[in-house]
Amino acid sequence: MTLASTSAPLGAYATDADLHYLRLESGGVVATLVPRGVPHGARAAEAPVFGWDEREMADARGVRFSASPDARPFREHGGRMPDAIVAHGAGLTQIVVGPVHAGIIEPGRFTFSSGGETVVHLDAQLGYAHRGVERFLEGRDALAAAPLVARICGSCSAARSHAYALALERLAGVAVARETAYARVALCELERIYNHLGDLAACASGAGWAPGFTGGLALKERAMRLCAAAGGHRLLFDAIVPGGVATGALADRQRIRLELEGLRRDTATFVAKLFGNSSVASRWHGAGVISREAVEAFGATGPALRACGVPLDVRAFAAYGGYAELSPEVAEHRGGDVFARCAVKRAELAESFRLASIALERSGTLPAALALEVAPGTAYACVEGARGAETIALHVDAGGRIERFHAISASYRTWPLVALAMDGNIVPDFPVVNKSFNLCYACADR
Amino acid sequence: MGRFARSLGIRHLVCGSCNGCEHEMLALSGPAYDITQYGWDVVASPRHADVVSVTGPMTEAMRAAAAATLDAVPRPRIVLAIGDCAAGVGPWSGAPAAGIGAGVELQAAVTVAGCPPAPERIVEALREAARLLDADTR
Repeated sequence: MTLASTSAPLGAYATDADLHYLRLESGGVVATLVPRGVPHGARAAEAPVFGWDEREMADARGVRFSASPDARPFREHGGRMPDAIVAHGAGLTQIVVGPVHAGIIEPGRFTFSSGGETVVHLDAQLGYAHRGVERFLEGRDALAAAPLVARICGSCSAARSHAYALALERLAGVAVARETAYARVALCELERIYNHLGDLAACASGAGWAPGFTGGLALKERAMRLCAAAGGHRLLFDAIVPGGVATGALADRQRIRLELEGLRRDTATFVAKLFGNSSVASRWHGAGVISREAVEAFGATGPALRACGVPLDVRAFAAYGGYAELSPEVAEHRGGDVFARCAVKRAELAESFRLASIALERSGTLPAALALEVAPGTAYACVEGARGAETIALHVDAGGRIERFHAISASYRTWPLVALAMDGNIVPDFPVVNKSFNLCYACADR
Repeated sequence: MGRFARSLGIRHLVCGSCNGCEHEMLALSGPAYDITQYGWDVVASPRHADVVSVTGPMTEAMRAAAAATLDAVPRPRIVLAIGDCAAGVGPWSGAPAAGIGAGVELQAAVTVAGCPPAPERIVEALREAARLLDADTR
């Protein structure tokens, strides 16, 4: 396990002074700095993981790279999106869908080059949800910006708030109480539970099994109500705050414990039925296959990575907060297909219930959130969200204001694999392949 | 009960939301809220829609596609702004690549605030949208 045993690339970003290439080691995030102002060879030529990052640095921060493998702009300019890359050849046609889609999903444009039904290339163009989050945060008080950070993306709010709090606490030179650290584990595992339930429901739908969709959504609804009971918000916005957790979090311990146990039991019944349905399994097997070489080259993360035989999970590999003493079991599958990604999420659901239950008991009496005195400097944090590694880089000035904020989301890192997964698949399989990743657009686009 | 209140086609249009509102919109298709019990449906094409539900602050990249989507919806139609961002009071209003609220820009007739609004509140807002459509065509 070369990758998991040494380090994993996380991504890169530019400040006014330097390029920061980040990687995850067992002790946490490590940065390699390259001063700006000298010609930069694009690392993406050898390491595709940096492809998006270097395009973004060039487009948004004016960094010039030599020999870039993809010199297209990264985002929209003056109403024009970067051109899609399409395959040309005898018998090939292009099918363009989006940015507005048929269902309730975020905006993105997908250009399929296909020969008949068979996809030979998919170009996924994102950026439609780009709000300019990072520049909007610059200059703001770092502590006061926490509610904005929680709202970059609804689906991974608790994980991102956790990472942001850890970065601020590093700059303040404090660590939260053991009870608080466990409360954060309980909240983040609830986030994983509602997300994974929603993903499995969507994959049941993608396989054409309506009872799996409604059954999964019913459980997801219960999980979201449990989030509201535990953290004060159905999507856990502001449940984890700098220095602690929200006032009143986990207050109704008895009710949370009962509902968590009931949800665990009913989830076990649900996944047994879902995975026992041979029609569903037959649709999932062999669809959307990606290779271990591809996920490693592109730095994909989370269930998509673990479904290709790479058991890397930030909670275990570079444990933080309450995870250090919990020894999370890391799910793994070798199939690389829709089935493998669903199987990893199934195993992770069971583990999340176990971790949430233990963390809930150990969180005891929660102290009030610490008042942080944030010192100027740079801090990094990386946590495992439902979709994988959620990384934050934070630069704070002497006045406690944000100089530079950069978020590398699991979705940003993993999107290129969705496109690769479609090679050789038929166009009608795109929904189920896409939903087996179920990546966010909001935190990828920012 | 008017025609639209018994048969509402809803087209959902995401204009830079954080996807929190989408979790609650999706919940309307689940058994807990199940809007099909009212004869309502989330439709696949703007051509089939009576209501366009919009979320997000609006983004530079989505503005043209959002306008084209709205243009494709037959009249009578109504725009429903879902969530604080679409209502113009969300956290990203005025961000460098964001607008002033998708609902504000697309002149929503009904607005439901919240970050995100609870599914029950979205159902109430859809009912109000249907009532306005019925009043418009009476």
